[in-house]
Amino acid sequence: MSKKLNVIGTPIPKIDAGIRITGKAVYGQDVKLPGMLHGAILRAEYPCAEFTIDVSAARKLPGVIAVITADDIDCNNISYKKDHPILKKGEVNCIRDEIAAVAAESKEIAERAIKLIKVKYKEKKGIYDPFDALKPNAPLVNKYLKDSKFAKNISDIFFYEHGNLEEQKKKSAVIISKRFVLPRVTHCCMATSNITADYSSVTKRLTLYSSTQVPFLYQRDMAHALKMNASDIRVIQVVIGGGFGSKLDMYPFEPIAAILSIKTGKPVQIIFDREEEFIASPTRQNMVIDLIAGADKNGKFTFRDVTIVKDNGAFTSWGATTPFVMMQTFSSLYQMPACRFESKAVYTNNISAGSFRGYGNPQAAFAIESCIDLMADKLGMDKAEIRLLNANYAGEITGQGMHYDTCGHIEALKTVIEKSDLRNTNKETLRNTNKYESTNKEKETVNTDSYIRKNPYFVDNVDRYKRGVGIASMMHVGGGAKIYRSDGCGTTLKLDDYGHLTLITGSSEIGQGSETVLAMMASEELTIPMNKIKVINTDTDVKPWDVGVHASRTSFVAGNSVLGAVKKLKEKLNQKAAVLLKCTIENLIYENEEIKNSDGSNSVRIEKVVREMHFGGQNELCTVNHFYEPTSDFQDKQFKGNVSGTYAFAAQSAEVEVDTYTGNIKVLNIHVAQDVGKVLNPLNIMGQIEGGVLTGVGYGISEELIMENGRVLNPNFHNYKMLTASDVPDIHFYPIETNDSLGPYGAKGMAEAPLIPTAAAIANAVADAIGVRIYSLPITPEKVLKAIKEKTD
Amino acid sequence: MEFDIVTPTTKSELLKAIKTNKNNFRFGAGYTDLILELKKKNVLNVTVINLAQLNDKKFNSIERNLKFIRIGALVTASSIVNDKFIEKNFPVLQQAANNLASAQIRQVATIGGNICTASPSGDIACALVALKAKCELLSSTGKTRTVSILEFFLGPRKTAMKKDEILSSVLISLNEKNINIHSGFIKVGTRRSMECSVVSLAYHIQSDKKNLITNVGIAIGSVAPTIRFAENACGFLIGKKASSLARGEKEEFAEKVLKYASPISDIRATAWYRKEALFNICKSILEN
Ligand SMILES: Cc1cc2nc3c(=O)[nH]c(=O)nc-3n(C[C@H](O)[C@H](O)[C@H](O)COP(=O)(O)OP(=O)(O)OC[C@H]3O[C@@H](n4cnc5c(N)ncnc54)[C@H](O)[C@@H]3O)c2cc1C
Repeated sequence: MSKKLNVIGTPIPKIDAGIRITGKAVYGQDVKLPGMLHGAILRAEYPCAEFTIDVSAARKLPGVIAVITADDIDCNNISYKKDHPILKKGEVNCIRDEIAAVAAESKEIAERAIKLIKVKYKEKKGIYDPFDALKPNAPLVNKYLKDSKFAKNISDIFFYEHGNLEEQKKKSAVIISKRFVLPRVTHCCMATSNITADYSSVTKRLTLYSSTQVPFLYQRDMAHALKMNASDIRVIQVVIGGGFGSKLDMYPFEPIAAILSIKTGKPVQIIFDREEEFIASPTRQNMVIDLIAGADKNGKFTFRDVTIVKDNGAFTSWGATTPFVMMQTFSSLYQMPACRFESKAVYTNNISAGSFRGYGNPQAAFAIESCIDLMADKLGMDKAEIRLLNANYAGEITGQGMHYDTCGHIEALKTVIEKSDLRNTNKETLRNTNKYESTNKEKETVNTDSYIRKNPYFVDNVDRYKRGVGIASMMHVGGGAKIYRSDGCGTTLKLDDYGHLTLITGSSEIGQGSETVLAMMASEELTIPMNKIKVINTDTDVKPWDVGVHASRTSFVAGNSVLGAVKKLKEKLNQKAAVLLKCTIENLIYENEEIKNSDGSNSVRIEKVVREMHFGGQNELCTVNHFYEPTSDFQDKQFKGNVSGTYAFAAQSAEVEVDTYTGNIKVLNIHVAQDVGKVLNPLNIMGQIEGGVLTGVGYGISEELIMENGRVLNPNFHNYKMLTASDVPDIHFYPIETNDSLGPYGAKGMAEAPLIPTAAAIANAVADAIGVRIYSLPITPEKVLKAIKEKTD
Repeated sequence: MEFDIVTPTTKSELLKAIKTNKNNFRFGAGYTDLILELKKKNVLNVTVINLAQLNDKKFNSIERNLKFIRIGALVTASSIVNDKFIEKNFPVLQQAANNLASAQIRQVATIGGNICTASPSGDIACALVALKAKCELLSSTGKTRTVSILEFFLGPRKTAMKKDEILSSVLISLNEKNINIHSGFIKVGTRRSMECSVVSLAYHIQSDKKNLITNVGIAIGSVAPTIRFAENACGFLIGKKASSLARGEKEEFAEKVLKYASPISDIRATAWYRKEALFNICKSILEN
């Protein structure tokens, strides 16, 4: 792009910032409709049991308008594999299971009614370990999965391979074989799950005020569940208080609210409390990864052989397709001559996993990057060197058929290597971080950084704190991902008689700032200032189709859609402007809301052009539609093909300090170098980087939803260790602009990326610091202390 | 959860409120513990005596004379954090208050609430045990009695307070003259704020000009049903030279503290970890 940009690349605050910070934004929790009822759900008391239910007492409670159980509804099963009944009948298979629901005049009455429901359980022995579920004598967990091609208790299998594994094994001078265990973590959206359903018995239409990330797929799924016509369902997205992948699926509470509204003829709202949110909203896929990886004597990678068992929980969500993304990382992050990948999603009586920002790649990165450090150690190679030697490069076509037309991997690696001083010869200085000098050792180097230990009288033991540095990379789709039948996005532009633009986009805003960036693109092209651009993006009755917010696709796909629409709009304007300016339509210039002829001698205001079109005999409105479909391909049955319009790359380095007395890890610095194609808005991008990194740090060192025999033991922020503002490390961001030819202004998708390599980099840094490696996340103080103990004993 | 609320503004209104509501009342100060408890147990038909607007010097202020400093039960954690005298003379208390929850909660959480909740993980309470503070209890008759904090905690959520008593303030003896203090609070957990300790250690060690230790208070939290005062470990240090303890002595000290720990394993940490970490941080306070 040689054109000088005036808006793109400048730090414009999010256009919804004002309403959000002043409390004016209408979240699902704020929706209040006339006559609205409050819904509540009764969930299973046991993770695996048969039951009988008696709701008569609840029905009699004054203020209760409806009580439903499986017997009262006629619905299709929901979920990605249609293996999930909305209300469970006769048996429950996880602690989240919905067995009855109530609509009442107040929340309190609804809750009281729930307590009046009598349920008799006959507890059964459940299966809580996917490896147990794979045993031949294991009972069948999910009986709803139809036409399964797979063995018992397997919801899905992904198999992929390229290259000649055996040959590559022979070439290998080092082969590492390790098992990695990844935890169940959850999104912790600040707004808990919510829905307000409003069915009109007059029009027979259903309006849903929902936080979905995928309104059109949601509309379709809801229609299927309720046996309705999709067009009779209108989805209005409220301001969404956090998505991160959690709202990619429709969950039972949503059709339950709809059914209650249909039954009562009144709006019904269901809002989770925090405990319910922890128990009944999805988690990241927890899994066990067995990775065998090799390198030749020069450090060139030879192969990866991966076997994954994922705990699917009792039902299957979109999250079951994470291997689709993970396999790309195993097959194509760093140059990879051969790869075999197999994953199984296995049913258990645990709560089911869903989708989560990064979509399997944080897990993959942890396994891959740990193995790289192990290989480097065995080969006696530098950890930076081995990565640079194998880094992806522009022009590479990977074994899986992905085309890396632009690729900032090498530059990203070089940047973090340089910034984090990985090869610092003063590594010992780094490690001895006492602010105060030791009295009993010869003068230690004093680190002048700001990490001061406050202990004015006694000085800490110099060996207590150990520092380490670790690096990790990532590759992720950066131009959408062709998974659904269309990966496109529609845009409608409406330029009014006053020169203000209404931008109606199919894409959704879930806090990431996409509506701001889309408005910036229109502003850049039309020179209409930001305050004259309105973005409409919340109503399926109004907005054109889009597949949804996921795969870091919105700026790329919706952005290209806006640019396509702007082009059409300009063609319309140009025609009229040329008449008004009495010149040819070639080379018209847009500047300060005006259209000028090529030498700038004559100009007309855009709004005037619109009015001339509207009122000046032509009688035409300045409105256009455009649908953009990325040029990516569907992969073939072997999962080969160029699945995304472009690919994003990043490297991160983590600098940590480990307290060997308590096992606490302090993450000091995270350096992020990321190929974002082009920075569209530096403020937005920094928001994504910081948020992503912090989620990654939590994944690395603190977060885990702990389960025992199907029950969640820490359904609260007290014991679920989501990090706080005071845990935020210094995050340093170095954007790498590779100017992708397909991206809007050269941009690539960038939003999932920042959390993908963080935990992996931290794990490597901890191993570097303490000299022992930990193979499961999160790396808790207890695991660290135990590892140190085992090493010294 | 449903409750009535009365809000006394003077001491006499307070005493009247205690009398009229007999045994069926709870005090509410900052409510950061109380509301959670009432919600969790779904308590109905209780009266909350709201202390938030009580205007009484003894309850509300930090004052001192030549012998001691008195901290009112309604003084908030952030007031303790910001008190320069406490920061200088009782770092253990300042640090403990500063480690409590988060900046927002510290604005409302009171020292009285922290003590009367009688949680084994109470941060301020742990520091006060190390400081051998005294609790001043006001009864509904208007009389005040004083109980050492070392005898105050009887078990988790159990205290030596009677049904009709309220904690009005705590007293801490001032440090001896011309001494060095080595005082601090160590909290072990995963997060740097909003963390409930897995192990905590409060220490307040005074030594004279010759560097000989004259007075010691060591308390540990989260490793027993109540906060424990490690008396034998304190005794062990008396008369020793703070700056030149042998490695063996440091470990012996840590072992002595550990004798007071009887931790359990729960989802936050195993007993093994709690002991290991406690041993290490005990050593650390004597390290140079
Ligand atoms: C998110 C969160 C994080 C927390 N983190 C920490 C932490 O890190 N460390 C820590 O120690 N605590 C922590 N707490 C607990 C709590 O904040 C503290 O214990 C606080 O000091 C309680 O003070 P309060 O004024 O809010 O007490 P309240 O909730 O008002 O009262 C607590 C109890 O004491 C009784 N009470 C209060 N005042 C008196 C009085 N004067 N006389 C007699 N009885 C009285 C009440 O009846 C009640 O039983 C946390 C709490 C929350 C919600």
